[in-house]
Amino acid sequence: MSQTNIIPDFVMRRSFIELNGRARAQSLFDEGTWKELVGPFDRIESPWLPMQGIAPQSDDGCIVIKGKIGGSAAVAIAFEGAFQGGSVGEVSGAKMTAALDLATKDSESGRPTAAVLLLETGGVRLQEANLGLAAVAEVISSILALRQHAPVITIIAGTVGCFGGMSLAAGVSSYTIMTREARLGLNGPEVIEQESGIDEFDASDRALIWAIHGGEQRVGMGLADTLVEDDSEKIAAAVRSYIRAGVPIEHRSRQVKLYRDRIAALDTSQQIDPATLRHQWGNSTGGAR
Amino acid sequence: MAQQTLEQISRSWTTRRDEKRRRMQQVQPWMEGPILPRTKMIDALETLIVSGDRIVLEGDNQKQADFLSRSLVKVDAKKLHDLHLIISSISRPEHLTLFELGIAKKVDFAFAGPQSLRVSQLLEDGKLDIGAIHTYVELYARLFVDLVPNVVLVCAEQADAEGNLYTGPNTEDTPVIIEAAAFHDGIVIVQVNEIVDKLPRVDIPASWVDVVVEADRPFAVEPLFTRDPRHITDLQILTGMMVIRGIYEKHQVQSLNHGIGFDTAAIELLLPTYGESLGLRGKICKHFALNPHPTLIPAIESGWVESVHSFGSEVGMDDYIRARPDIFFTGRDGSLRSNRVLCQLAGQYAVDAFIGATLQMDGDANSSTVTTGRLAGFGGAPNMGHDPHGRRHSTPAWLDLKTNEDPNLPGRKLVVQTLETFAKGGEPAFVETLDAVEVGKKAGMPITPIMIYGSDVSHVVTEEGIAYLYKTEGIEERRRALAAVAGVSPVGLKAKAHETAELRRRGVIAFPEDIGVRRLQANRSLLAARSMEDLVAWSDGLYQPPAKFRSW
Repeated sequence: MSQTNIIPDFVMRRSFIELNGRARAQSLFDEGTWKELVGPFDRIESPWLPMQGIAPQSDDGCIVIKGKIGGSAAVAIAFEGAFQGGSVGEVSGAKMTAALDLATKDSESGRPTAAVLLLETGGVRLQEANLGLAAVAEVISSILALRQHAPVITIIAGTVGCFGGMSLAAGVSSYTIMTREARLGLNGPEVIEQESGIDEFDASDRALIWAIHGGEQRVGMGLADTLVEDDSEKIAAAVRSYIRAGVPIEHRSRQVKLYRDRIAALDTSQQIDPATLRHQWGNSTGGAR
Repeated sequence: MAQQTLEQISRSWTTRRDEKRRRMQQVQPWMEGPILPRTKMIDALETLIVSGDRIVLEGDNQKQADFLSRSLVKVDAKKLHDLHLIISSISRPEHLTLFELGIAKKVDFAFAGPQSLRVSQLLEDGKLDIGAIHTYVELYARLFVDLVPNVVLVCAEQADAEGNLYTGPNTEDTPVIIEAAAFHDGIVIVQVNEIVDKLPRVDIPASWVDVVVEADRPFAVEPLFTRDPRHITDLQILTGMMVIRGIYEKHQVQSLNHGIGFDTAAIELLLPTYGESLGLRGKICKHFALNPHPTLIPAIESGWVESVHSFGSEVGMDDYIRARPDIFFTGRDGSLRSNRVLCQLAGQYAVDAFIGATLQMDGDANSSTVTTGRLAGFGGAPNMGHDPHGRRHSTPAWLDLKTNEDPNLPGRKLVVQTLETFAKGGEPAFVETLDAVEVGKKAGMPITPIMIYGSDVSHVVTEEGIAYLYKTEGIEERRRALAAVAGVSPVGLKAKAHETAELRRRGVIAFPEDIGVRRLQANRSLLAARSMEDLVAWSDGLYQPPAKFRSW
């Protein structure tokens, strides 16, 4: 009756996508080293959602966990995609900024603390629009401060993906880890279709969406760094190796000239397809790691 | 007397044959053998079909002769009108445009899923008369009795120059529709994806076929039987565990038909994990009358399934099926041969159990998927979801449902209905009166369009537990047993604690703990596949999901 006879290994793997935001964050840390900061029992909830008839959540969909990863100090900040699409509101944005700033403070005082961002988010929470937008600005400035001292690692695993303001946070990270099921883009497919019409982007065409926003394409183009399987152990290993690697020599978001030149070099007289772009950008030397 | 004899002598016995010859002769100049050029399609339809004709348009819940239906709406309604349309499934918008334009007037059908709202509207506007709403097999059966067609419009993958047809994995309804016309002097018109020199295999011989036309694009097929494991909930897993322990294991169910819902997809994905841990492999779920559900791949790969006969194919499964001929019915060319009528027949008479999800159930266990304002029809569920009294062979499960010792009485087929006590949006699924009652009245139907009659239902499974309705004595006890598992719905609120305890003691109802199912164990980590990618991996890359199910 041994199950191993008939069940392939991949079925027994611990799927990362299946985990909720809190379990994802916990799975990255060395055993027994982590604790949650401003957890659900502190009951810091969005004051704005109930006014609009939406039940708030006691962690506002943002989970902050501090501990050790591969022996080094680290903080993980996870957005729970199942709560309001992982959106960033006043509370969740403040939690994220505070955690990043504390990591910077520790790093500056000689205890380098890396940050891991688990981004399953559509971006700014529409119900808290201005506060959410302000939060994104603060988050980005906090990432820019921290990344001089310690790496900021973004994980996008799926199935929500990372869009809107939070895609900018991914963009300024030191490293980005994705799965094939993950998506990364500034505007989500529905937004593009709504704003520019179905001829520009058909949001029901899943093949098109993943060909453009999908993990394989984003890593292939060099806009993300590693494509990993949906396996908790493999994702944790990738995080450990980036923490060991430390701060990159030059962050992607600093390579302004490289990307300007690349965009200028594109032949827009005809429709550029995803495979061509991947070929052109993925193979070029320098810049994207 | 002499007068009558004279009349008999002068009567023609070949009117149908003569009429077919007359029509065919008119299109002959355009044709090369049986092949008609695509450009003459509309002219040919206007010639081969005559106003008032009874025509069959092939279109079920999977494949659609859509080039022919798109062509038929372009005929001149002044020349061709008041057709009597027979169609399994009213699925495409142009099917109803035929009625708006007056080309067709009357319809006999089995299912109208995607177009059900418009059917109701056209009926109200007097643009459409409904002969009757059928189940699949009874509609086909009538093609050989009182609905013999004049012309049938069907589809195939390939034809050769002589008109032999390859209908391939999605053979489905084509043989039965063609048979009804070909052997009673009806005209058989076939759209094919391509005309080739040599067919992989002959599914329909040329002598049954009159006109072949190469379509502008391959016929439409819907991947209707694909369920993304990502969307299976813990509640559906709990229900699946209860079914495996409390029904399949208990009654030794070896052959079965599964519905297309997520509940049954969960069961399929629990067999290699949960079922295996119970040591049930080889004891239950060996034979299926079932479309090639992608969620069945793990059970097949881990050695649970011995055979699968199918109504139709499923998009993306062709290569996998081709590589597993021991399991599936395949032709000499290696590809699947499906046949809806035969599979429906298998589902009626040859399987131990039917299990399907339903949307609404009343206190007598009558169930329906009809919801207000929609005339959706029946499809095939009632064909399989009943106890066929014509069955005479016995199996362990069939005999296990016999509740008396009388050797003069039969066993019983399992008809299992699963439903959550509350549907999406907080609507109770158990109701005092089915929506179908009102819909039936509005549509002027002589009886309520009930999908599965309560008297045929042997088991009802909810997240609360299982009601073994076949064990109940009398209608009152039946209602009590159902109420006991109906949660806090209007039906469930009638349950009384002491009655429920007594039913539970007698094994007429069972809660998860009574059958060794641990509620806390019911979570997604039990599934043998949790995503479409997992299914692809199980199939070793042979299963190629259609784009709409891919998230990579």
